[in-house]
Amino acid sequence: MSQIVSTKRSQREASGPYGKIGHSLNELDDRLGLAKGGRTFMDKIFPDHWSFMLGEIALYSFVVLLATGVFLTLYYIPSQDLVTYTGSYLPLDGQRVTEAFASTVNLSFAVRAGLLMRQMHHWACDIFVGSIVLHMGRVFFTGAFRKPRELNWTIGTTLLILAIVNGFLGYSLPDDLVSGTGIRIAYSIILSIPLVGTYVAFFLFGGNFPGTDIIPRFFILHVLIIPLVILLLVGAHMGLLVRQKHTQFPGKGKTEHNVVGSPMFPVFMAKTTGFMFVVSGAIALLGAFAQINPIWQFGPYTASRISYAVQPDWYMGFLDGALRIFPAWSFHSFGYTIPLEVTIPAIIFPGILFNAVMAWPAIERHFTKDNEMHNLLDRPSNRPKRTAAGVSVAVLLSMLFIASSTDVIANFLHVSLNSVLWAMRILCVVTPFIAYPLTYKICREMQAFAGAGKRKTTNVVTRTPQGEYVATPAPVYVDDEHDELEAMPVPVFVHEPEPAAVDAGVRRVAR
Amino acid sequence: MLCVVALVALGPVLGLASWASAANYSPTPYQTGRVNSGTPNSTSVVRNAKTGAIVSYGDSAITYTAPSPALSELGKSLFLENCASCHGTQANGVPANGTSGAYPNLVGLGPATIDFWVESGRMPAADPRAVQANRRTPRLNQTQALAIAAWVNSLSPSYPDIPSPNLTSANVSEGAALFALNCAACHTIEGDGDALAYGTFAPSLRNIPAYQVVEAIRTGPANMPRFTGNLSDYQVADIVKYVTTEIQHPQNIGGFGLGGLGPVAEGFVGLLLGVGLLALVGFWVGERQ
Repeated sequence: MSQIVSTKRSQREASGPYGKIGHSLNELDDRLGLAKGGRTFMDKIFPDHWSFMLGEIALYSFVVLLATGVFLTLYYIPSQDLVTYTGSYLPLDGQRVTEAFASTVNLSFAVRAGLLMRQMHHWACDIFVGSIVLHMGRVFFTGAFRKPRELNWTIGTTLLILAIVNGFLGYSLPDDLVSGTGIRIAYSIILSIPLVGTYVAFFLFGGNFPGTDIIPRFFILHVLIIPLVILLLVGAHMGLLVRQKHTQFPGKGKTEHNVVGSPMFPVFMAKTTGFMFVVSGAIALLGAFAQINPIWQFGPYTASRISYAVQPDWYMGFLDGALRIFPAWSFHSFGYTIPLEVTIPAIIFPGILFNAVMAWPAIERHFTKDNEMHNLLDRPSNRPKRTAAGVSVAVLLSMLFIASSTDVIANFLHVSLNSVLWAMRILCVVTPFIAYPLTYKICREMQAFAGAGKRKTTNVVTRTPQGEYVATPAPVYVDDEHDELEAMPVPVFVHEPEPAAVDAGVRRVAR
Repeated sequence: MLCVVALVALGPVLGLASWASAANYSPTPYQTGRVNSGTPNSTSVVRNAKTGAIVSYGDSAITYTAPSPALSELGKSLFLENCASCHGTQANGVPANGTSGAYPNLVGLGPATIDFWVESGRMPAADPRAVQANRRTPRLNQTQALAIAAWVNSLSPSYPDIPSPNLTSANVSEGAALFALNCAACHTIEGDGDALAYGTFAPSLRNIPAYQVVEAIRTGPANMPRFTGNLSDYQVADIVKYVTTEIQHPQNIGGFGLGGLGPVAEGFVGLLLGVGLLALVGFWVGERQ
């Protein structure tokens, strides 16, 4: 009879400090080998700088979007069939509306927490796109997009475009008077595409505007196809982030070859989980107390109705502004209309803009000849040309954004709408050209001024017994030690010729 | 013989067919299927035999009353005091030392027009050269406005008279649909009004009394079209009810209404309060070097 040998492992388990939990985890590890990967994951280091949290706002508002969106799909009916609304909101009672509109009003008023979910979904969308733009600005101005992270920059830009498109689609789904006008504009923009516009528009809308197909089609794009692509790209975005490691600002002990920060567990995980609750809490508060898109006040869309002073959601504002202020250039010849007033601001301009953004890492590398790996971030003032170019584009987009509310400005300031229109036209052309040299100059000045970006130091003034005043810098507190970002000169990258190639390959050697 | 039978049979068949097609008729979204008994072309409309102007739409939704002629003596003196410097002593738009055509001729405009301009505070004008007059606290009270209307009307009696809408049976839902169709294109769907071209604007409807809504619809002040041909008094009363209830007291069920500015205000709140505040939280949580 053989004796049961107590193994080392079973002894350790018996006396292990983690008791039954440790035991079951060990059992899992024996089968799945989780410990090694889990250890790597938990020890993953993330830099702590606050500006790296901006992307997380986007991530967590996307989580809120998914959760609230699933709730909304339970009650929303994507159909343009006409029904008679008979619900609790009397000013619509008895009106012929589409099922999409009726179900959105019903989910707002007749479903418990429905309006809260709808408003949270809408606010989360505004915050999602806003935080993507902020995050993108941080990545751009600190040069985080440089080699090896160009691909992630492209993915991020794609995510922004998809977020804007999906935001527009979702805004259109209630089929209310305001969003119907938006679909109308989108239809006209598609019509203005040279040569194929009419065909593309008819293909998308299943015929002429408005038809009865567009809401169901927008619905399936909005709730399935685009969110799926966004989800996959978010996964790729974060997978690349983990794989390529996070960038960091230069400082004490920080080099191109290490990452200084907090480990995933427990510090970063606690921080980021807390931040998730803060983001969703803020969105819930907005959803509860700030009304957004009160479609019951707008009423249903029909092609014969229009409301003045309708704007799209903020992230479409720059396109709306471009459409508003562009001069009315259209030509009629040989039975065709060439609507440059729509094609240029709504097709060509965003096309150039987003292509330029996508290609920016390549454009910059073309000029700097910089083919090095970069894991340390730039201070924006140390790269004055990039910063100036970014500010210049941001100013142009802001001006176009402001131009999307020309009527609100004119009404608020009691000036003529036409004056506002012309003012915005001039500002859109002039301000980017002012912003570039001004930003460039400010950056150069900040480089030249040694104290720029540094904390102020305290001087302790003491009076000697002789009555003399002496100022000495105060000692740095232990917790207050920090590294300064030294102003660095802009490096000049010289493209060195490749060394003469040695004949590569397999040679037959006689032995 | 067969022809006669066929002809006799054809009648009911045609009748059935027309009945069936009528039964298939479903109202378009902006009609609620209610019968418009008082459309201006219907027989109930009472017209002035001489001028053809609409005296009454023949329904009980709005009562039009002429201002008392007894007030016209007072009206004349008030007119000479407040209006004649521009509109002239004969209210014909020719001031004493001016040229004809510089100011509107008021003769024959009807009491409702005069009453609207005076009672909304737009007249006497603060700045006669302004592109468009603003609603202000009226300088003349209701009786004085009616008196001026009575005197101007006595020069050449006309219509519409001073309206008094009866909103008890008005349909707010039909009003909402008619508002979206007829009014929202300038006044915006939330009734806030907005700037139009070249310094003109559609005024806000948030603080306008019911009878003035009728006056504006029926007389078409300034740039506003005059709605007589396409709206019955029932429909005008529906619009008035919608304006005085839902536009002036909107049901902001979703929380703070953000001033009815729509996506402009929402964008500011979302970006500054939402993203801005969350970025600040990130600033607080993260490292700040």
